[in-house]
Amino acid sequence: MAKRIMIDPVTRIEGHAKISIYMDDAGKVSDAQFHVVEFRGFEKFCEGRPLGEMPGITPRICGICPVSHLLASARAGDAILAVNIPPAADKLRRLMNLGQIVQSHALSFFHLSAPDFLLGWDTAPAQRNVFGLAAAHPELARAGIRLRQFGQEIIEILGGRKIHPAWAVPGGVRSALTNEGRDKIRAWLPEAFATTRLALELFKKTLKSHEKEALIFGNFPSLFMGLVTPDGSWEHHGGKLRFTDSGGNIIADQLDPQRYAEFISESSNQSSYLKSPFYQPLGLPGGMYRVGPLARLNICRRMGVPQADEELEQFKKFGHGAVTSSFLYHYARLIEVLASVEFVEAYLEDNDLFSEKLRADAGINNLRGVGASEAPRGTLFHDYTVDADGILKKVNLIIATGQNNLAMNRTVAQIAKHYLHGNEIPEAMLNRIEHGIRCYDPCLSCSTHAIGQMPLHVELVGPGGDILDEVTRS
Amino acid sequence: MSEPRPFLVIGYGNTLRRDDGVGVRVAEAVEALNLPGVKVLTRHQLVPELAEPLSRARAAVFVDATVFSGLKELELSEIEARKGGQILAHAADPRSLLALAGQLFEHCPQAWSLAIPVEDFGFGDHLSTRAEGGVVAAIRQIRKLASQKLA
Repeated sequence: MAKRIMIDPVTRIEGHAKISIYMDDAGKVSDAQFHVVEFRGFEKFCEGRPLGEMPGITPRICGICPVSHLLASARAGDAILAVNIPPAADKLRRLMNLGQIVQSHALSFFHLSAPDFLLGWDTAPAQRNVFGLAAAHPELARAGIRLRQFGQEIIEILGGRKIHPAWAVPGGVRSALTNEGRDKIRAWLPEAFATTRLALELFKKTLKSHEKEALIFGNFPSLFMGLVTPDGSWEHHGGKLRFTDSGGNIIADQLDPQRYAEFISESSNQSSYLKSPFYQPLGLPGGMYRVGPLARLNICRRMGVPQADEELEQFKKFGHGAVTSSFLYHYARLIEVLASVEFVEAYLEDNDLFSEKLRADAGINNLRGVGASEAPRGTLFHDYTVDADGILKKVNLIIATGQNNLAMNRTVAQIAKHYLHGNEIPEAMLNRIEHGIRCYDPCLSCSTHAIGQMPLHVELVGPGGDILDEVTRS
Repeated sequence: MSEPRPFLVIGYGNTLRRDDGVGVRVAEAVEALNLPGVKVLTRHQLVPELAEPLSRARAAVFVDATVFSGLKELELSEIEARKGGQILAHAADPRSLLALAGQLFEHCPQAWSLAIPVEDFGFGDHLSTRAEGGVVAAIRQIRKLASQKLA
C-alpha cells in the first residue's frame, strides 16, 4: 500500500506551504508535491482597473519583490501602447531592477539560507536562523543587512520609496536619477563589492563540505528558461526568451515573450493554488523547466561584466553543459549580485540617466500586451487584455515560483528518497527538505497571491491515501 | 557633533487590503506633521534591515492593525527584544527586530507596539469607519509619546 509524508511548515520562505510525500507499495518514495493552500486572487482583483493603475496595484502583490511586478506591469503597458520607450527610461528601469536583484538575493542568501549551511543542517531550528548566524558570524550578518540596504537604497533613490514605488509607467518612467542620488549610490559600491566577494568566497569554501547536498538537493536534468540578449548574454529586463536543456544545448532561442502562450502551458492541481507551467512542445514530464539564477546562468554564455564573467566561468565547471544541482542556486545568486553591482557601477557613468526624455505618450493601440522581466526568482510575465478605453478585462500573471513548482516537487522527492527509511519523518530529512525548497527562494505571496503567513506541513501518505506520519512546525 | 537619536515611527501593512494598511496611514499622517525629532518609516512588512535604523533611534513605535477580538480601543504596549521570533516571513515580529538591532548594531531602543483594532481586510484602499477612528487616536497617542521621549 502506498504511503504519504507531510511536512508543516517550511519556514523561512516568503509565505508558507505544505508538502506531501507519497510512498509506494514497496515502502519507497514515489513522488512529492509542494502545495500552496491559500489564494488571494490578484488577477481577478485587477479586472476593471485602468491600465495606468496597474504599475501601482501589482507591486502590492509582494513586499519583497514589488519592483519586479512594477517593471513587468510597465512593460505590459508599453506593449498595449505599442511604444518603444526612451533609451533613458529603459536604462533607469534596468538600474532599479539591479537594485531589486541585489536586495532580494541578499535576503535569500544571508538571512534565509546561510543559517543552514553555515550553522549546520542538524542544528536545532531555534538556533538555525538569523540570530544564530548573528551570534556565530556577526560581521557576515551585518554585511548582509547592509548589502540589502544598498539594493533598497537604489530603489528608493529612483522611485522615491523602497516599497511599491509607482515609478515605472506604461511608456517609460516618471523621473530620472539626480546627481545627489548618483553620489549616494556610488558611495555604497566599495562596500557592496566587498560584501559580495566575501559571500562568494565563503560559499565556495563551504561548498566543499556540502558536496553530498549538492548531489541530492534538486540535482536532475531539466530545461532552463530565461531572458537573454540578442548575443546570448545575461539579461534581466527586456531581451528574448531562451530554453536550454541539461546538456547545455539551446532548444529554442530568441522567443518573443509576447507569444509566451504558444510555448508555455500551465497545468494545475486540485490540491494547490500554485500552477505548474511547462514547455509545451515537449509536454510533461520532458517540458519541466527551471527559472531564476541557476537557469539564467545556465542559458547565458556571458554575464557582460568582467568580475562576474570570471565567476561564471568557474560556475559552469560544476556542470556538463548545464549546472543541474539546485543547491547551486545560491552560488548563481551571488554571481548575479556581483554582476548587478558591476552593472550599477557602469550605469552611474551614463549621462542618459539624467535625461528629461523619459516617457513615450500614446493611447491604447493594442488590446493585449505581455510584459516580461527577470524577477530575482525567475522570469515574470504580466499578460493584460484591455478594452478600447484601457480598462483591464483579463489578467494572467506567470510567476517565477510557479514555474519552479515541478522542479521543487522533484527536489523534495529526491531528498526524501535519500533520507527516508521507514514510515516516520526523520528530523534530518525535514531540515534538508526545507532547505531544498529554499534553494528556489520561493515567494508564495507572489505565486498564489496569498496574504500573510501560510502554515505548511509535511505528510507521509500511503498507497491507499492513509497518512502515516505528519510533522507540523510552528 | 552627532545627530540626536530620533523617535522612530514604523507603520506597516498592505494598503490594498483596506484596514491592513492602517499602520501605514498613521505613519504617513505623522510624517506630514513634520514633528521635530520624529522619523517615519512605512513598510509593507517588517524586514531585517530595519534593525539598523532601529539601532539609531532613541525610542520606536511599531504601528499595525490588529483583529484581536478582545481589543476595543487602541492599545499601546511597551515591548522588549526577543530572539528567535519570526523575522523573515511576511509577519516579522517587532521584538525580533529589536533583538537584531541590539545584537548586530549594539543598541536596542525602548519600543512600543501601537495596535489599532480593525475589522475589514477585503480588497480596496479605503479604511473602515472603525479603522479611521483608530487613525485619529493613534496620531494623538504618537504625538504624546514622542513629546515625552524627546523632552
